[in-house]
Amino acid sequence: MSVTLYHGEPNGPSLTVLAALFAKEVPAELRYIDLAGGERHTLPFAQEPLVAMSIEGEGPVLVADGEPMSDSVFLACYLDDVGPGAALRPADPYDRWETMRWCRQLIERTAPAAACLGCDAHPPQLDQGVLERIASLDLRARWQQITAGQFSEAQLADSRTKIHQAAERTEERLANREWLMGAFSIADLESYAWLAGMVPLVPVAFAAKPRIAAWLERVRAHPAVARALSYARTAEPLASWSIGPEINRWG
Amino acid sequence: MHSVTLYHWEPNANSGKPMLALMEKGVAFHSHYVDMLSFDQHKPDYLAVNPQGTIPTMVHGERVLTESTAIMEYVDDTFGGPKLMPDDARERWRIRWWMKFMDQWLGPSFSMIGWKVFVGPAVRDRDPAELQAAIDRIPLPERRVAWRKAISGEFGAEELQESQRRVALGIRLLEQELARRPWLASDQYSLADINGFNLAYALPLAQPALSNDELTPNIMRWLRAIYARPATRACWALGRTSLVKRVTILEQPHIGAGQVA
Repeated sequence: MSVTLYHGEPNGPSLTVLAALFAKEVPAELRYIDLAGGERHTLPFAQEPLVAMSIEGEGPVLVADGEPMSDSVFLACYLDDVGPGAALRPADPYDRWETMRWCRQLIERTAPAAACLGCDAHPPQLDQGVLERIASLDLRARWQQITAGQFSEAQLADSRTKIHQAAERTEERLANREWLMGAFSIADLESYAWLAGMVPLVPVAFAAKPRIAAWLERVRAHPAVARALSYARTAEPLASWSIGPEINRWG
Repeated sequence: MHSVTLYHWEPNANSGKPMLALMEKGVAFHSHYVDMLSFDQHKPDYLAVNPQGTIPTMVHGERVLTESTAIMEYVDDTFGGPKLMPDDARERWRIRWWMKFMDQWLGPSFSMIGWKVFVGPAVRDRDPAELQAAIDRIPLPERRVAWRKAISGEFGAEELQESQRRVALGIRLLEQELARRPWLASDQYSLADINGFNLAYALPLAQPALSNDELTPNIMRWLRAIYARPATRACWALGRTSLVKRVTILEQPHIGAGQVA
């Protein structure tokens, strides 16, 4: 099996997939790309539908035996299936359901909010000539919005509320656990990937939450995460953001 | 073996996913019909089961499960019967990719149009005070907005146009994918097909200018193949509304362009 991972700075979806790859001990060629400059859209497989139409926004791409694959949570599930390392999802079907549901709520509510706040504070800069190469028109529109600096105060306030709620859910969940699903799992990776960079941006959401503070430290110190973080090329990867999933259009 | 109770609305969209998955697996379950058009899902009896007031909910012994796609994976992992996820890891990834694409991108666009033409008109004529009270009881703020818009017909031209753009593009992508493989995302019948059928079973009626035997032969082959399965027949027979009875369009052997008004 030949695996190549095209990833950006170890934050958000790139962090999840890099850490999953290391935790599962899957041999892979790593290729750093400038996700925050839109470099993904210049790769040879960028127009493949399952890359071009990924609704994750600017996430990493894993190429396994020639098939380009996107979407960090499902890439982590894939790596969990194929790699020899310790399992990244619980064995019990109900605990697995809880892991998938947790990730789904993160993807749907937390990730768009975090990407909105992250991009507002640290705007990504699209490279010249890339906009026209973005096949997904709604992703292109999100890039145009960010380039024009058009987040409304209402959007930012709603995003901060969603980060508050995610921090509360996480704090509550950690009441009797070290890791969100019992053992270290994809839920820890994906939660950390979106929330760690929110601590400096929405500090009040994390204030007086000792369990989440200790958990953030624990995740950061996990060998697979520490190794993923060592691939950073900027001084502060938590300040590296690119376009995320869209905020729910309705309902 | 613990008993299974499924709280569901029609075999359509989210409710139909675990219904059909359970029936394909041959799992007997107690069916508890939640009448969405009477707002049963926001009444105390149901909120006691699922405080978020979303449909469906599955109760298996002491376990309470929500989120229809995650429930389907649980059903496949837990019960015997035919496997609805392939062994190949890359196929499983592809199935999950498609389910997310349908759940979070294509489905909401279909459903905005569906709520405008079916759900809104179905409840709109009731007593305004009763409707307002029903909306006020909805636990999730996003769902409150959705219901308010559906009831008052407030969807803007621009957002409907964007939904229609996504539906047209989604149909093209589905057709391309189904030209490559017998089933959606995989060489075997899977959760992606169950998910997709719930979204698209009435496609040639809902989008006659975009989907028929001439424009999308692979989608039509795929829909008819799923409809031919005994579990699908049994599942859709539980439908009570005109919305779901549209599935019989698939009994027509050929639907040409311009044939469905």
